[in-house]
Amino acid sequence: MLQKSEFFNPIDKSEQDSEFIAMEPRSFWHDVWDRFRSNRRALIGLIVLLFIVLLAVLGPLFSPYPYDGMGTEVNCGPGAAHWFGTDALGRDLFTRVLYGIRISLFVGFVSTLINCAIGVLYGGVAGYVGGRVDAVMMRFVDVLYAVPSLLYIILLMMMFGSNVGSIMVGMCISGWVGIARLMRTQVISLKGREYVLAAYTEGAGPARILFKHMFSNAMSPILVQATLAIPQAIFQEAFLSFIGMGISAPQASLGTLAQDARMYMAIYPHQMVCPIAMICIIIFALNFISEGLSEALDPTNSR
Amino acid sequence: MEKKTKETKPVVSIRHAKKYFLAGRHLFRPSDYVKAVDDVSFDIMPGETVGLVGESGCGKSTLARTVIRIYEPSAGGIFYHGADISHLSNARLRPFRTKMQMIFQDPYASLNPRYTVGEIIGEPMQIAHMGGKDEREGRVQKLLQQVGLKPDHISRYPHEFSGGQRQRIGIARTLALDPDFIICDEPISALDVSIQAQIINLLEKIQDENGLSYLFIAHDLTMVRHISHKIGVMYLGHLLEFGDADEVYENPLHPYTRALISAAPVPDPEQARTRHRIKLTGEVPSPIHAPAGCPFCTRCPECRPECLLAPPVMANQNGHKVACYKYV
Repeated sequence: MLQKSEFFNPIDKSEQDSEFIAMEPRSFWHDVWDRFRSNRRALIGLIVLLFIVLLAVLGPLFSPYPYDGMGTEVNCGPGAAHWFGTDALGRDLFTRVLYGIRISLFVGFVSTLINCAIGVLYGGVAGYVGGRVDAVMMRFVDVLYAVPSLLYIILLMMMFGSNVGSIMVGMCISGWVGIARLMRTQVISLKGREYVLAAYTEGAGPARILFKHMFSNAMSPILVQATLAIPQAIFQEAFLSFIGMGISAPQASLGTLAQDARMYMAIYPHQMVCPIAMICIIIFALNFISEGLSEALDPTNSR
Repeated sequence: MEKKTKETKPVVSIRHAKKYFLAGRHLFRPSDYVKAVDDVSFDIMPGETVGLVGESGCGKSTLARTVIRIYEPSAGGIFYHGADISHLSNARLRPFRTKMQMIFQDPYASLNPRYTVGEIIGEPMQIAHMGGKDEREGRVQKLLQQVGLKPDHISRYPHEFSGGQRQRIGIARTLALDPDFIICDEPISALDVSIQAQIINLLEKIQDENGLSYLFIAHDLTMVRHISHKIGVMYLGHLLEFGDADEVYENPLHPYTRALISAAPVPDPEQARTRHRIKLTGEVPSPIHAPAGCPFCTRCPECRPECLLAPPVMANQNGHKVACYKYV
């Protein structure tokens, strides 16, 4: 017959550590960064973008030429003195491109930031409150969406002059609509989650639930959308500047630089190529970052 | 004398609670409603566990969510220590929120994946403005120990834990404000059997330590019998039978309860082969078009003509309540 001890043994000392977790604590963003880092294209995009930002911010400090200072050397080609050459008024093109990047990036980032803030708040409230409030709020969004944005951007430009401020206001009037819709659907889908209900039964108020619990979980698609919106805004600004509705001289964005160079395109192509190449590099970098982010945030999305 | 009556007062009373959801509006006839909970009444005494059983969709979870006021009851009253909380606004509910808590079914969905365990368990205290940051952290560590986890798990994220561990985190969160009433909405059904026993033992241990009352919802009849002092049987939004756990199991009165208990699996295969099973035919009627009479009349093997006309009233047989014309 079997002894009792063959069935029952005192547990080992090590069993007392059964709740031990060997891994380091890892937050969600920690994982996202690791996945992002392993995506080479996205990483290169990020490095290039950071380099360009650094160049745009610090570059003009070291440049011997002011962006609006005219010289006697007119329309000279790229060389040691003027890396990108000079324009028809003898202004150093490299310095002007750096300033152009500043304005383009500023418009792109700030307008996207404002759009995200408005969109998240508006869509969050609409989705959270729901019912009639939601219906009315979203119909208003539909109305905004139905009006072509070019229309009121041109209108604003005529009223307040061609400057960075009116371009931004114009881009933010309806730019937040997409983010608002996205946030609203996210909030509606998160409403029934048990951790949201748990927060509710703990007595959490709407602001806490919306911004602490829902926003942290709705953020991934919004972040991806935002990184896509930045190049869009840069493009839109460049386009407006190119058709002559943008920043006015002597300030210049990449779009106005291209517009200025248009007349001399056949003779001095480098004047056009330099700003346009810069736009391309920025857009590519941002698109790679956005792609990398969307894969890093939601690994099930990746190919 | 005064003290004695105070002790026997229920923690939570549910009085004719109804929760209807709008299912569709019509132009020429009345709107359709899903009658998820229809006229349910019972009391939960201090230190007592009331088990709620019934098949999926019978309104157990809706009732639980109505009691804890995630939903507002369509009619009837929810009383906490005699105070009517059925229609209080969110702000005025806040003092009661600290005393009533809920453990959710899915431990993978009930913890916010972006926050650390410390933040999750500490949040109720933060909302209630309880203590300073260090004080809260100390309490979170104590709670972690109480539910059998380690204090240094405080900085971990939910995805680093197993289902059973997550459920224990959920339990620690409900205990943070030292409540006297906890609703357990199928707290074990998402866990494997070996872990289920752990969680049940933990719940019982905490009940002894903190003197809690539970409203315990589950599918598993044997588990419910094990943990509950009283049992309520629900069907199609109605409470059909309510009584002491052993009494309901040993001597089920309602035909539905009998069928339900006979359907529970028996571990002994010999006994399982020979026992008598009541087999029900048909489907549960839609809760939108529930029968006019007894909710169970469409499937009841003992249905009589009067059952089709009006729903039976609760008959009280020495504390064992049953809603059936057989016992009127």
